[in-house]
Amino acid sequence: MKFAIALFSAAHAPSSRRALLFAQAALAGGHEIVRLFFYQDGVYSAANNIVTPQDEQDIARQWREFVSTHQLDGVVCIAAALRRGVLNSEEATRYQRSAVNLDAPWALSGLGQLHDATQTADRLICFGGP
Amino acid sequence: MSKSLLVISRQAPWSGPSAREALDIVLAGGAFDLPIGLLFMDDGVFQLAPHQDAKAVQQKDLGANLQALGLFGIDDVFACHHSLTARGLTHPVNAQPLSSEDISKLIDRYDQVITL
Amino acid sequence: MSTLHVVSHSPFTDSRLDSCLRICGSEDAILLCGDGAYGLRHPALQLKGVKVFVLAEDSQARNLPLPDWADSVDYPGFVQLSLDHDKVNTWL
Repeated sequence: MKFAIALFSAAHAPSSRRALLFAQAALAGGHEIVRLFFYQDGVYSAANNIVTPQDEQDIARQWREFVSTHQLDGVVCIAAALRRGVLNSEEATRYQRSAVNLDAPWALSGLGQLHDATQTADRLICFGGP
Repeated sequence: MSKSLLVISRQAPWSGPSAREALDIVLAGGAFDLPIGLLFMDDGVFQLAPHQDAKAVQQKDLGANLQALGLFGIDDVFACHHSLTARGLTHPVNAQPLSSEDISKLIDRYDQVITL
Repeated sequence: MSTLHVVSHSPFTDSRLDSCLRICGSEDAILLCGDGAYGLRHPALQLKGVKVFVLAEDSQARNLPLPDWADSVDYPGFVQLSLDHDKVNTWL
């Protein structure tokens, strides 16, 4: 079966880790993930400038590795990301901001990507909150 | 045939970008001519209260986005009757009140649902 | 048609579970996770007669014994639940 997974919470929220473990279990079960779409505070789960203490889980890094390893389509909503200061180099240049905190494997794109994924997927699963 | 999506908006309009970002999902779906429904429930029904003044807190008027729903082909706009009456809202703007049983049936009618 | 409702907020501080129970259909099920697992201590859930699941790691972390009216699932079980129902409604 095909899953679209949408995440609405930051990497420090338990729901971000929950989404990651669900996604891993879906792939392990032989299912497909057509797209990951990070919206609202979910954009923070893709940020690459998060520093976690060594004895704690680095969920943002685990997301990055998961998406890279499985060559998934990882999309971060551009409007939600700009509003929250999550910028790739292109947007940092465009808006003259000094810091870049988003890079591969994530792509910035619009909400159309969420709708496109729900059209393709058998199930849309959202994660967020605590 | 396109899959349908029901967005359930539960946030008051003044609690940060959440309510606006829920509406943005709806408007984006409408722009792609997808079958989208919108249900206001819990504090989300406060978005439907008349005569709110966004300027008082230096915000953009969410009401303008609500007005735009029709232009984007979003005609299925509902409000939870229980949530309305619990909050003393008797005259919601541009939304059809639904009982809890009808909301249950409404969710059944759609292929996907996002509650935020 | 059936919906799997996913609730991750505690019902003792938040209205999501109450709202969910109000509109829950007879074929629906509720999966409690995160602080939503505290719903195992919430009498309203049992009274409603809806199928209740809890994410095993969250009930274990909180030392919440499994009542006889609820079932426990791991992540593969969560994936399967999402497929056993026609759609998933997460109360974000």
